[in-house]
Formats: sequence, C-alpha cells, structure tokens
Amino acid sequence: MTRLLQYVVGGLTTGSLYALVALGIALLYRSSRVLNFAHGDLATFATFIALTLLARALPFGVAVGASLATAAAMGAGFYFFVLRPAKEGTLLGRIVITLGLALLLSGVMQLVWGNETQRFPFPLSDVPVLQFSGVVVSQISLGTIVASVTLMALLYVLVQRTRVGLAMRAVAQNAAAAQALGIPARRIYALTWGLASALGGAAGVLLAPAVYLDPFMMLDPFLKGFAGAVLGGMDSLPGAVLGGFLLGVAETIFAGFVSFKFKTTLAFGIIILVLLVRPEGLLGREYHRRV
Amino acid sequence: MKILARLVLAVVAVTTLAAAAVSQPAERGVTATEIRIGTTMPLSGGAAFWGVPISGAIDAWFKNINDAGGIHGRRLSLVVKDDGYLPPRAVANTRELVERDGVFALASSLGTANVFAARDYVIETQTIWITPLASADIWAGYRNKKYMFMTYPSYIDEGIFLTKYAAENLKTQKIAVFYQNDLYGQQGLLGVKRGIAQKGIKLATSVSYEVTDAEVTAQGLKLKESGADTVLLYATPRHGALIVREMAKLGFRPTLVSSFTLADPAMFALAGEAWNNVYLSAYFPLPGLDPRVDAVLATLSRINPALARNPFNAVAGVGFVEAFLEGLRRTGPQLTKDRLVTAMETIKNWDGEVMRSVTFGADRRQGTNRLFMIKAENGKYVKLTDWYSYPTKF
Repeated sequence: MTRLLQYVVGGLTTGSLYALVALGIALLYRSSRVLNFAHGDLATFATFIALTLLARALPFGVAVGASLATAAAMGAGFYFFVLRPAKEGTLLGRIVITLGLALLLSGVMQLVWGNETQRFPFPLSDVPVLQFSGVVVSQISLGTIVASVTLMALLYVLVQRTRVGLAMRAVAQNAAAAQALGIPARRIYALTWGLASALGGAAGVLLAPAVYLDPFMMLDPFLKGFAGAVLGGMDSLPGAVLGGFLLGVAETIFAGFVSFKFKTTLAFGIIILVLLVRPEGLLGREYHRRV
Repeated sequence: MKILARLVLAVVAVTTLAAAAVSQPAERGVTATEIRIGTTMPLSGGAAFWGVPISGAIDAWFKNINDAGGIHGRRLSLVVKDDGYLPPRAVANTRELVERDGVFALASSLGTANVFAARDYVIETQTIWITPLASADIWAGYRNKKYMFMTYPSYIDEGIFLTKYAAENLKTQKIAVFYQNDLYGQQGLLGVKRGIAQKGIKLATSVSYEVTDAEVTAQGLKLKESGADTVLLYATPRHGALIVREMAKLGFRPTLVSSFTLADPAMFALAGEAWNNVYLSAYFPLPGLDPRVDAVLATLSRINPALARNPFNAVAGVGFVEAFLEGLRRTGPQLTKDRLVTAMETIKNWDGEVMRSVTFGADRRQGTNRLFMIKAENGKYVKLTDWYSYPTKF
C-alpha cells in the first residue's frame, strides 16, 4: 500500500504540471477553438526570461512575476498582431500559424540561450523530504502541487465569479452575440491568450527546477498536457485539470507496476481510447454546432 | 567517310577525357587547398550536451591546425549538421553530407542508434568514416569496413569492466541498471549482464527511460524498491543527473557507477551534491590528470572559450579525430581514400595528444581497447586504477 501511495504521490507531482499545461490549452481551445502548438515554447521562453533575471540577482518573486507578465504580453500580442489579422483564414490555418510561432520561438531560444542543459535556481530544494508513514514527499514536489492547485483555484474564481470571467464565458459561447451585447470580444480574446500563456509560463517555472532547463524542456510535458486536456475534455476547465492529474498518476503507476517502455505510449493510447468511447472527454459536454 | 571521321573524333575525345581523369585523381572533398570533412551531431535536443562541445572542439582543433598551415598545405574545413539525436535525421544528414556537400570523410557522428541507422549507407558509398561515436561492438562481424577507423570504446566491454570492478572493489552484490531504451543503453545493459554472470552476483532490476522523457520519478521509485546496493547508469547527462537527484530525494543512496559518457565535470553543476562519489570509467587521460591533455584544452578554450565549460567532451572531440589527422600527415601530399587507408594502417601504438596507444592494421579497425577507473570527489575526478585492456574484436 505504501508502495502504491508513493507512486500516486510521484504521479500527482507530475500530474499537477500536466494539469497546468492542460488548463492553458483548454482555456484557449474553448474560447477560440485554436489548439495552440506554441504553448510549450511560450512557457519555456518565459522560464528563460526568469532565469536571465535571476542571474542578475533579482529576487525570485520579482523575476518570476516579470517572466509571467512577459509570457502574458507575448500571448496577447500574438493574438492581436498575428492571429486576429488572420481571422479570415481557416481554423486549420490558424493552428498552423501557432505551429510557426512554436518553431520561431524555439529558434530564438536556441540562438539566445544556447542548447545547453541548465539548472534553474528555485527557493525550494528537493533533498529535504517529509515522511508520511513511509511515503516520501520532497519540498519541491509539495511546493509544485500547492502552487499549481492555487493557480487553478485562482483561475476558477476569475472565470466563474468575476465580470471579466462572465465576459470570457460569453465570448467562448457565442462571440458574435457577446459583441452585440457590448462585450469587447477582441480584448477578451487577447486576455484569454495572455492568461493561458502566463499559466504555461508558471508550469515552465515549476517544471524547470525538477527537470532542468533547455529550449526543448516543454516538448514532452506539452504533449502530455494536451493528452490530459483531451482526456478530461477540451471544453471543460475542471476536466482539463482532472485529465492532467489522472494522466500523471496513471503514467507513474503504469510505469511502476507494468512497463517503463510503454509509459509514453500510454498517454497516446488514452487519447485514442477517449476519442473512441467519449469524444468530448470525461467532463466535457458534447459539442453541438447550431445550424 | 564522314561517319568514320566522326567515329575517330569521338574515340579521340573519349580517350583524352579518360586520360585527363586519370591524371587528376579528383577525390571527392579534396582540392589543392582544402579537405572537406562532415559530421552530424545533436546540436539540439536531449544529447546537445555531447554534440555541441564535441563538434565545437573538432572545429576549433581544425582551426588550430589551419593556423599552423594545415596538413600538406591543405586547410581542413568542417561541415556540421544538427540531427537532434534522431536516427532518421542523422541518416538524412549523412546522405546530404556525402551527396550534396561532397565531403571527403565523415567524422564522429554521435549516438549508437544514429550510427547504426546510417551505417549501411556510409559503407556502401565507401566513405571514410573516422570514429563513429557508437558502441564499438556494432562493428564486430560487420563486413566491408575498410574505410572505417575508430578510437571509441565498446559499451559491452565497458559494462563488463564496470560490473567486475564494482563486484571486486565496491562490495557490490545486487546491481540495478538505469539505461536508455535504445542501442546505447541496451549494449551497456548487455555488458553488465555478462559481468554479472562472470562474477556470480545478482541483477536487482533494469529500468529504462526514453530520450524524450521529461522526468524519471517512477524509475527512481523502482530502483529504490529493487533493494540494489549499486546502481549503474547508461543515460544522457540530463537523465543521469535527474535519476541521481531523484534517488537522493527518496533517501536511497546506493553506490553509483556510471559509463564514461557522463564523465564531463559539468555533471557536478547539473546533479550537484548527488554526483559526488560516483565511480566512472575513462578511456583517455582526463583534463587535470595529464599535462598534454590540459594543453589541448587550453588551445581549444583560446579558440572557442565556451568549450572550457565542457572540458571532458571538448577534449574527447579532439581524441576522436587525431588518429585521422595523423593518417592524413602520413599519407603525404597525394591524398586519396585508398592511400589514406594504407597510411592509417601503419599507425601502431601511437600516442596522440589525447588518445593514447592507438593501433590500426590491415585487419584491425578498433584502434583502442583500454579503460581505467575514476571517482568523483568534491567536484573533481580522481584516478583510481591503471589501464585495463579488453580483447579487440575487429
């Protein structure tokens, strides 16, 4: 039992990061139907900004705050200056644009910060560990879970309990009607892009101390986050969170008790299975387009 | 009559052209002033840690030689292509280097799986290939490797060596292996299994990871559960650092043994405290342990200061090509593939600046077969044993 619990704890730590990534992806998808392939690279970019600021001896909070703000500005800017002018393009076209942004960002990061694997300084260390009846939890794992859950809770409050959140939901449901009612849809879209990118940035900053930073750091977590979002429901924010956590735990338990070699395959196996059995995801609602 | 005249003309033309071709033995990639050499390396992705300093060092070393006048008046130029540690891209790059860039020789493509994937093509095109960075064992029994020369160890022999060393000197009884799930890790694992069989100790478990894996939480737990007293690593620097930190986090502190692939001192920066007391093998004298190797590092760092950050990998880069450079010197000004092969085969017990005791011959392509043990202590490596030789296979 202790053994299983230990795997669950490990899975929750990774799952919390998948959940953060999934949340960012779902947030954008649900409002604009665009699957943002640059989500991972934006996150890595923000993490590099934080690293650069930390190297200049800025306090951790300030550096991370500034990097998240940069990510938000980049996300919003990308919507305003690239995606919005391309609104006449097809949905697929817009998705391909995000793929272009991903390649561009990756190239810039390699040019500016190089390809070397780097250590990311973090106020919490991974060696002092807490023991709960035989189950070991490191400070950093606990910190990651707490920070991710806090961010998710804040987003929930913002979307469900504030006027901005109401506007975001309205635009997500029917942009034209929302605009007719006086909601500045474009600004809301930009805000959504900014928020999603900042969430990605937060995932990057939380992930980097655990897995080291290089321009390709988010490659695997992005795919897993995406798988988590599909599992939970691309349309549902709680679904994306649930999907991320479930995938993290399932993956770790599968690796520990069945096979390491098929750990990554599991994520994609899950996507296929979900699409076959319940295409809208665990918590997603079936998507009907009104004719 | 007209037809006959045309026929004579044609014959004359063909003969003249053929004669011209014979008098100018145009070797691909060689001109009067230049020798073009190509390599495909992971400059991005999980193994950039190896690819960037190794290719950087080869380039810097060529510059150093060019500054001194080149070899027989020819400058060395290096074409580097990024394969991201992906075998399909390595194959595409290799074809491009041979067919489009027209290189004379390939130098040290990196990755056992990548080399394995590109091997048939390189052998078929009869291209000079100097030290492909792959476990030497993939060449044992492989035919037609006339144009291939290597000064790189075998992971199987290394695995046997490390396991036997651990059993004899580190009181190892139960060994666990953390390995990359490709040919690199599998060859290492095979070596460990053979060493275990020879020593009569136990394999506690073998735990793999994929190059693309971002974290190794489950692997750490599995290793801890296995109850191993020793964990042996065949990993990328990133995954090696991740797993030793993960084990430390779980309060699991076995004896750590690693392949020489993780011998770069940059590991201390990545893994921190957890990298202390790791036992590793080495196949050339490390920087800090040998004045000639230190001189090489000083030269490299002067030309490309970034190389000082990865001293082991940088110096290794020079070690991979220096026997080839010696071969070029011995060939003389008339450079052809076959003349180079003949010259390379005269290299016997030759000491380079980095690689020592290199021997080739008519039926010998495995230039080195020696290892020794080192240990990580307080951010530095110390030498533990003298050279140990294993039998050559080809």
